[in-house]
Amino acid sequence: MSRGTLVYAAQRLVLITVTAVVVSSIVFIGIHQLPGNALASERRNNPATEAALLHHYNLDLPWPQQYVLWVQGLAHGDMGESLVNMGVQITPLLLREARVSVTLGLAAVLITIGVGLTLGTIAANTWVDYVASTSAVVGYSVPSFVWAFLLILLTVSGFYAWTGGLVYENIGWGKIEQIPVPALALGLPYAAIVARLTRASMLEVIRQDYVRTAWAKGLKARVVILRHSLRNALIPVISILGPLVTGIITGSVVIEYIFGIPGLGQEFVSSILSRDYNIVIGVFTFYAVLIGLANLAVDLIYPVLDPRIRY
Amino acid sequence: MAAVPSTVEASQEFLISELPEQSSLGQDAWRRLKRNRLAVVGLVIIAIFFVTALISIVWTPYPTWRQALGTTYAGPSLLHPLGLDDYGRDILSRVMGGAAIALGVGVGASFLASLTGIILGMLAGFFKGKVDALISLTINIFYGVPDLLVALILVVLIGRGLFNIILAIALTGWLGMARLVRGQTLSIREREYVEAARTIGTPNLMILSRHILPNALGPIIVQATYLVPAAIIFEAFLSLLGLGIPPPSPSWGRMASEGYKALQIAPHIVLAPCAALSLTVLAFNWLGDGLRDAIDPRMRR
Repeated sequence: MSRGTLVYAAQRLVLITVTAVVVSSIVFIGIHQLPGNALASERRNNPATEAALLHHYNLDLPWPQQYVLWVQGLAHGDMGESLVNMGVQITPLLLREARVSVTLGLAAVLITIGVGLTLGTIAANTWVDYVASTSAVVGYSVPSFVWAFLLILLTVSGFYAWTGGLVYENIGWGKIEQIPVPALALGLPYAAIVARLTRASMLEVIRQDYVRTAWAKGLKARVVILRHSLRNALIPVISILGPLVTGIITGSVVIEYIFGIPGLGQEFVSSILSRDYNIVIGVFTFYAVLIGLANLAVDLIYPVLDPRIRY
Repeated sequence: MAAVPSTVEASQEFLISELPEQSSLGQDAWRRLKRNRLAVVGLVIIAIFFVTALISIVWTPYPTWRQALGTTYAGPSLLHPLGLDDYGRDILSRVMGGAAIALGVGVGASFLASLTGIILGMLAGFFKGKVDALISLTINIFYGVPDLLVALILVVLIGRGLFNIILAIALTGWLGMARLVRGQTLSIREREYVEAARTIGTPNLMILSRHILPNALGPIIVQATYLVPAAIIFEAFLSLLGLGIPPPSPSWGRMASEGYKALQIAPHIVLAPCAALSLTVLAFNWLGDGLRDAIDPRMRR
């Protein structure tokens, strides 16, 4: 890693921090303008209890003061306490859930890249081209949750009926065999995009002189396709990895909700519905940082694949 | 599309003898689009859904909210071609009503996002300097934020009516358009005809609307077309998570999330709105691809 790369990475880390702080502040301020809070309910608390609760969460202070306290806490990695489940510290909760979401996301990214590159390479080099290139647009026009429903029908109902009850896909989280189905649903639309891009850039690369030379030298097809063509065809594909990672993280909110996966996305939806604003702000900050880091990782992979790129 | 400037009429007399046939860029693009089979199929599908949506406003086979029309979870039959859902509502009627919501949100959000993106993008690209720095920083900051979460929070903040949903989606969708328009403006403002216009003292507003906007229109139209399916999927996401347009409005996403509970015993409840959704999105993507190839043939892959 050169010095320029380090400086670039440092700049990006600053931007990530700025993004996280700006965005979470906007959310913080926006949410504190809302009428009512998680403590307001139809069940009447006695005034002393209510005052004590408000004081416990600093909600009795004016919001600029609350904001300063919140930022101070954030600087120490403390995102406060859940408003609904009292006594639950948000930071460890979200760290635990982030591990689930990152596992799911990584599995989806692996599927996206694996399936996409394979299909794209096959499409560019063989007769299946026409079929593959028209079906790619179908692949990413079908939203991830529709893929999820189709996959659930196939694995849960289909396999169970066809094997006479031998195979049973249990929707949920916690076992390794529960990862592939949601990850596939999450990754398929993006795999179609990757396949399409790979095909397009592959078609450009295989017309290059050095590829013709490689064929003329009598190299094996595997070597020409994988080492000479694919590696160079990868460069434009890498450029969409950033938006792709953002898309997969966004899609995971819906997929986690459907499959009942205890990740950040599900936490976000349930905390919005239960007005647990402390958690809403926390998840938001987490996601902003996650996406920033993922994009940074993508940018750092660039120079490895294409030595002409330098920061 | 791009109107023919009136000065052309005067010069046409001597040009006609030299050139057998003239056509504007717009007519050219339209001819290329008509030759693209997938784009035409997309256009036809979109037209069918639009007509269905319009019809659903005045008439559906059954009212979309009427419950207990027959056995709940009943599969497709002659009376109810797509079956009944968990409340005994007619799914065909609800899919029709859902088309109005999906297209309304899709086109509305795309229009609003495009308008915002075009204005801010042109301002940033044309005036550069501080204006550009401010707009670009805003874009860069919000680019790193998952748009679905922003939309979810906005919906909580401003409410869940149809217009609020459109607003929430548009507020997250203008970033890409602004980036595109800014880039286009940056390159177009350096062309000779813009310089010429500036030399004869054309006001900035006139340069932006008469010279820069028409020349950036091609990519803008393509991007706006792609924004429609994105917004439709977005609305489905919101509804699926229970934060879309409130029930009993027949949003496709909500229908899918309500039917999901009974996916194994009555898959038709989920499959009908999902098929309608996927088909609409596919049609818009086909049209977008066709437009992209038609407007800029060099981009063809």
